[in-house]
Amino acid sequence: MSQATSLRKTDVTLTINGKSYTRQVEPRRLLVDFIRHDVGLKATHIGCEHGVCGACTVRIDGRTARSCLHFAVAVQGAEIETLEGLSADGRLAGLQKAFHDAHGLQCGYCTPGVLLTAEEFLSENPEPSEQEIRAALSNNLCRCTGYVNIVKAIANAARDRDKTTADPAGESRK
Amino acid sequence: MIAQGHPRSIGKHVPRREDPYLLRGEGRFLDDIAEPKDTLFLSFAMSPHAHARILAIRTDAASALPGVVAVYTAEDMARFVKPIRTVIEIQGYRASSRMVLAQDEVRFVGEHVAVVVAEDPYIAQDAAELIEVDYEPLPAAVRLEEADSESAPLVHEDIPRNVMFEAAFASPDFQAAFESAEMIVSETFRTGRVAGVPLEPRGCLALLDHVADSLLFYTSTQIPHLARTALSEILDFPEPRIRVVTPEVGGGFGTKAQFYTEEVVTAALALNLRRPIKWVQDRREELLTSIHARDHIYRLEAAIDGEGRIKALRTDLTTNAGAYSSYPFGCTLEATGGARMIVGPYDIRNYAFHTRAIATHTCPSGAYRGVAQPSCFMAIEGLMDRIGRKLGIDPATVRQRNLIRSEQLPYTNVLGVRYDTGSYEECLRRALERVDYWNFRKRQAEARDDDEVLRGIGICCFTEVAGAGSGGWRVRGLTKVPGFDSASIKVEPTGKVTLLVSQAAAGQGHLTTFAQVLADYLGVKVEDVFVSEGDTATAPYGTNTFASRGAVAAGGAVIKAAQSLRQKIARIAAFLLDVDVERVELTESKAIDKENPEKSVDFRQVAQIAYSMTSVALPQGESFGLEVVEMYDPPLATWPNAVHAVVVAVDRRTAKVSIEKYVVVHDSGRLINPMIVDGQIHGGIVQGIGEALMEQIVYDEDGQMLNANLLDYLMPMALDVPQIDISHIETPSIDALGGFKGVGEGGVIGAVPAVTNAVADALARTGANINRLPLRPSYLLREMRRRQLAVDGDRK
Ligand code: FES
Ligand code: FES
Repeated sequence: MSQATSLRKTDVTLTINGKSYTRQVEPRRLLVDFIRHDVGLKATHIGCEHGVCGACTVRIDGRTARSCLHFAVAVQGAEIETLEGLSADGRLAGLQKAFHDAHGLQCGYCTPGVLLTAEEFLSENPEPSEQEIRAALSNNLCRCTGYVNIVKAIANAARDRDKTTADPAGESRK
Repeated sequence: MIAQGHPRSIGKHVPRREDPYLLRGEGRFLDDIAEPKDTLFLSFAMSPHAHARILAIRTDAASALPGVVAVYTAEDMARFVKPIRTVIEIQGYRASSRMVLAQDEVRFVGEHVAVVVAEDPYIAQDAAELIEVDYEPLPAAVRLEEADSESAPLVHEDIPRNVMFEAAFASPDFQAAFESAEMIVSETFRTGRVAGVPLEPRGCLALLDHVADSLLFYTSTQIPHLARTALSEILDFPEPRIRVVTPEVGGGFGTKAQFYTEEVVTAALALNLRRPIKWVQDRREELLTSIHARDHIYRLEAAIDGEGRIKALRTDLTTNAGAYSSYPFGCTLEATGGARMIVGPYDIRNYAFHTRAIATHTCPSGAYRGVAQPSCFMAIEGLMDRIGRKLGIDPATVRQRNLIRSEQLPYTNVLGVRYDTGSYEECLRRALERVDYWNFRKRQAEARDDDEVLRGIGICCFTEVAGAGSGGWRVRGLTKVPGFDSASIKVEPTGKVTLLVSQAAAGQGHLTTFAQVLADYLGVKVEDVFVSEGDTATAPYGTNTFASRGAVAAGGAVIKAAQSLRQKIARIAAFLLDVDVERVELTESKAIDKENPEKSVDFRQVAQIAYSMTSVALPQGESFGLEVVEMYDPPLATWPNAVHAVVVAVDRRTAKVSIEKYVVVHDSGRLINPMIVDGQIHGGIVQGIGEALMEQIVYDEDGQMLNANLLDYLMPMALDVPQIDISHIETPSIDALGGFKGVGEGGVIGAVPAVTNAVADALARTGANINRLPLRPSYLLREMRRRQLAVDGDRK
């Protein structure tokens, strides 16, 4: 309880979106707080801090993971990628467009985590069924959209990946 | 009103302006705002008891922790903060007063007893755990059924029998009608306690502007203006010197339409310590302290004729208010809402209710999306099914016989409330068709007793109170909720348009929809309009964002403001075009001469004159600038209506419920952006599915919340929810400007009853009577077995 008095800070170095950051942090510093508050990258959100909601999803050494479940010291030296990085280098362009066209977000708080999950999923399963998309989302909580348009956006993104020209009419037309 | 030939924006799937920055992760939510270097952080010490006397609080160890700046208890706080008192001017209401930190007594687990101010949020949390409080535990009234009794422990000494609110009503001929009816069908329905659980927890950041000696207050709220007024009154600090700003808000659902104690503490400490103060709650605190809802008991009795028509209806409603009246809606909101809304789209001419809100030693209840409507429609719609079963008439037919017919509209219901327009019969007809109702019933009749799954179909027909104006809030005694909303339009010197509305969105896409409304009513290109809201320094005063009021109240204000500004634009344009003002039409950011359409001036040219930025002088008699502010007070309410129809399969062995088909036919009047409307309905439905099938806040008998985390408070994930088939009927409101009816809550209102009825219908052949939420497998299995045992017993 009172361990706080004796917590020694240590140097933690992480590569985030290709850039190296070294910060002095307590051993109990959560990775998500390191990313958000020590480095100042705010796209990664916090919804629960106990590993359920997926709002804090990032990539650690190429795999999606929950940044609220890791201490920064424990991933010393890791390569971290966040929405800012994936967005800036254009890897998410197709998904971002699909989410925009299909109204796959409302408040947008879950969206960074959902996009990272979807990106990894589609790279492994380029032609998913609806059921597979839903299963892939089972670690991401969204309280706004009812998932209907998230699922649709991911399906559309998968379909449009093969095409060189996207269908600009949008899929949400009925 | 709208220029002929102006490309309509209302009714189009205009993609959202909010998306691009949110999709890049650039949305600035409360905790994303970069706080100044000298910011201090709060952490609260919470009561571990549901009810206890506070004997002593020792803060020395907490204060001694390096990095801690101060620790406050109720006593310290009372020097500069008044208690929160929810004023409701209605008979039968007993106000409770609440200090922002508990004084002498704690009344629910999670209530704050002290607050730590520290240089770092981790340190603040450590210190909060070092605060030692001596409690004398007292008996607690936790469950609604227990608190509602003569012998229950009192939550407030001055509130006898824990009755915080009580009201009754009977229409003149009720008694006679009730007594003379052929038969009575009655049932008790018990709904479950749930919460909104926005994905972003609450938080706020208070900054001082030393120059003007004012307070800049960022808070994750749906009600910036109401929060500002409340802060001013509670802190005794001049309202003009407070600026409340809502950043991006990560979901609200009514949870953030309340004003909370932590907001007062954060602002008060910033003013007192003269330092920036930040507080962000964690999920456990969120579940313990953000408002709960829907802990209700409905006892219904319907007097019916042999055809299933309701001749008289009696409702006895008891709601769980929690330990205090939340602010500003208080403990009366659910109790009046459930009792008044339950008559719904039905032609019920004789009605009586008795309704009460009971104080318990639990978290305060408040205005979660739909308020009491998901529960009151679960009750009345459940009763419709029971009437059908009792008489051997199909429940859809029972509803058809009771619905208000279109030729009866406009219709004044038994409580004197006017429904201006609606499409009750048409919605039901179309929903039955889309869900293939009669064929389902045929297949269902062929089902066999040894089938592994039981299939059922559930219907919910409802009307919904939306977009309430000042009259609507006054009827319910909520005089501190103004009811109007407002819009300010500025055509800037460059001809582009700034629109400020008195709203604060939490994902509803206001920046897009209000631009669409203004585009059509001002004759401006939608891309020329920039919308801003949620900042009390710029947006005009209004009632803000809850109770499905955005489109109706603020949409109406935008229309009203556009209508008055277009006169001025037209006059200046007429002068420039040298034609009569009647000949001028505004369209696509231009003013054209209707009789000679090649002749036109654009908004920029008009604005240049209005702002005196050209060689041409402003016509005589005109004032400078192109700005207008208008307030709009909507009618008592608008009345969206819909029918949800759901097919479920229940596994006979595991009682797992799968939703096989979900159909919605929805009428919320004129639609501004159908894509956004559908999104609102989807989200509401899935919250309703959660409420019906899995969500429940569980307190044990000592008042400990057993599931204050997201592992145990189950909410629907993508695999739990079906495809949803939505179709729209658009019957514009004739009472509200623009014809909009509001859409924020309909999804959840229809889903809870429809899903519940579908499961009850599936299980009806086992003889189980399903009348309480949530419909967890354990409950369903128990009900099926109970019945099976009874049957086996009879056979012996
Ligand atoms: S914040 Fe990490 S999973 Fe919820
Ligand atoms: S869009 Fe709000 S939580 Fe998903």
